[in-house]
Amino acid sequence: MSLAPLRPRYRESRYAYATVLPVVLLVALFTLYPIAFALATSLREVVLYRPWSTPFVGVKNYLDVIRSDFFLGAWQHTLTFAAGAIPLATALGFAIAHLLNSRTRLASFLNVAILLPWAIPTVISGIIWAWIFNSSYGAFNGALYSLGIIDSYVPWLSRPTTAMLSVLFAHVWKEVPLTSILYLAALQAIPEELYDAARADGAGSGAVLRHVTIPLLLPTTLIIVVYETMVAIVTFDLLYVMTGGGPAGATSLISYYVYNSMFVAFNFGQGAALAVLLAAALVVLITLYLRVLRTEEIYAG
Amino acid sequence: MRRGGRVLTILLGGLVAVYILAPFAWVALNSLQPEKELFHVPPRWVPRVLTGDNYRFIFTGQFPAGYEETGLLRGRISEKARDALPALRNSTIVALAVAGANLLLGGTAAYTFSRLRFRGAGPLYTFVLASRLLPPMAVAVPYYLIINRLGLLDRYAALILIHAVFTLPFTVWFLTLYFRRVPPDIEEAALVDGCTRLQVLLRVVAPVAAPALAATAAFAFMFSYNDFPFALFVTSTIRSQTIPVIVANTAINPDVSFGVVAVTVVLTMLPPIVFAVLFRNYITRGLIAVTTTR
Repeated sequence: MSLAPLRPRYRESRYAYATVLPVVLLVALFTLYPIAFALATSLREVVLYRPWSTPFVGVKNYLDVIRSDFFLGAWQHTLTFAAGAIPLATALGFAIAHLLNSRTRLASFLNVAILLPWAIPTVISGIIWAWIFNSSYGAFNGALYSLGIIDSYVPWLSRPTTAMLSVLFAHVWKEVPLTSILYLAALQAIPEELYDAARADGAGSGAVLRHVTIPLLLPTTLIIVVYETMVAIVTFDLLYVMTGGGPAGATSLISYYVYNSMFVAFNFGQGAALAVLLAAALVVLITLYLRVLRTEEIYAG
Repeated sequence: MRRGGRVLTILLGGLVAVYILAPFAWVALNSLQPEKELFHVPPRWVPRVLTGDNYRFIFTGQFPAGYEETGLLRGRISEKARDALPALRNSTIVALAVAGANLLLGGTAAYTFSRLRFRGAGPLYTFVLASRLLPPMAVAVPYYLIINRLGLLDRYAALILIHAVFTLPFTVWFLTLYFRRVPPDIEEAALVDGCTRLQVLLRVVAPVAAPALAATAAFAFMFSYNDFPFALFVTSTIRSQTIPVIVANTAINPDVSFGVVAVTVVLTMLPPIVFAVLFRNYITRGLIAVTTTR
């Protein structure tokens, strides 16, 4: 600030706006218009076969959506999905992080390999897993059959429960890199002295895990829980290539359901109401997320 | 006890390596086998025949041997898989442009947010970051309408715009935090010497911030390359369709040859895998920052 007299202030602020406004305007166009559009459309009846007439219907679309069994079902599926993904991604990530943290050659190899599922497009991982779970030629069926666990091939992706489990499995495979890396970072932040002190007090490895590691990793775990719930809300790609939301809507999570209402059923009014509700749900969750992060800050001192 | 722990670590590590890598190995092996072999029950865990036929089909259009037996229809459907090569080109062009836009627009904006005081700085910064709260599916239709109004449907520009909008908030946030940690002394000295802000950014700050810039470019590239829903909505022909769209729409066809799909899957995975391995340190640090910092 002491340099201010050397540079006329107006030139500096002109430079500031010149660099900031392109980003702000671009983001504004793709944020404010969609919000305004969704709010306006959600209050009207807009259907594909009657584009010339879009009467104002108030909150009817919202009521229709909320009263619909499919909407509740989609949320139920989303929460079921999150409830499955969270413990699996957390437990696996926690375990793998310990492996990544060991100073072995295998660990340095795993540190690179673990990034691969995260790096590839989600649709690609979905295609691979759909092929593995294929009912007629899949490797999963083949393996179980060869091991004598099943007598005949199971159509994993065509039964509601197994379809959900298959998608969940593919999802966890894709998410575990992130949770492992987060846990690894948290593990490495724990000072070695804490372990030494615990051991000096006579704690065994089980007690160290329970009284030192797990409590100190709690903030990371909270982050993963909220983050995975958010991911469940936006999950779409996997469902598109693995199940198409089926069988009978059993894997139609909320984002897929919104997609279906807009691009398959072409009910734009209801689709917009759904979009608003979806965005609202995400905002609530992210607010929660930020609160969790703030707690972590207090935690870290 | 020590020894036992070590053996256990190696055993579990091997298990994890298999869990992570087996799907990659499986799809790569499948891409090298004739279609008939893939339909064997139970699967051939060790391939009996290896062939480059599926790859040759994608690159030259020559049908794999024994392909005619499965009928004309199948041949015609798999023809779509040959769009993979132009789609890879589309994806790469779009993703590079998105990475470039992030460095150029995001980098300069972040530097301004981190160093300059101007009216509205706080609210504008918050606004840019908060824009990421919108879930993709909630903005799909309005995005389509904006792109249509701009006359950009089925053009690279449509994807570049949308991907830039989705990646810029992260870039601005990440780089702003990074620049704030760089001591401003050298920059002040350069300013006294008569450099403009832009010159300072390019000549003094950019070299120091190279790792952070590489990380944001890598993230932007990978977001754009991996994006599926938006690419699905605003593209319609191979003129702009990206590789996830082509591979997904080929693969969900139940009549398609998986050997050929496997080739497109392998080709699609190569660029992001190379990227991830090259930039792994930046990516790891970036991932941690994305999910744990505000």
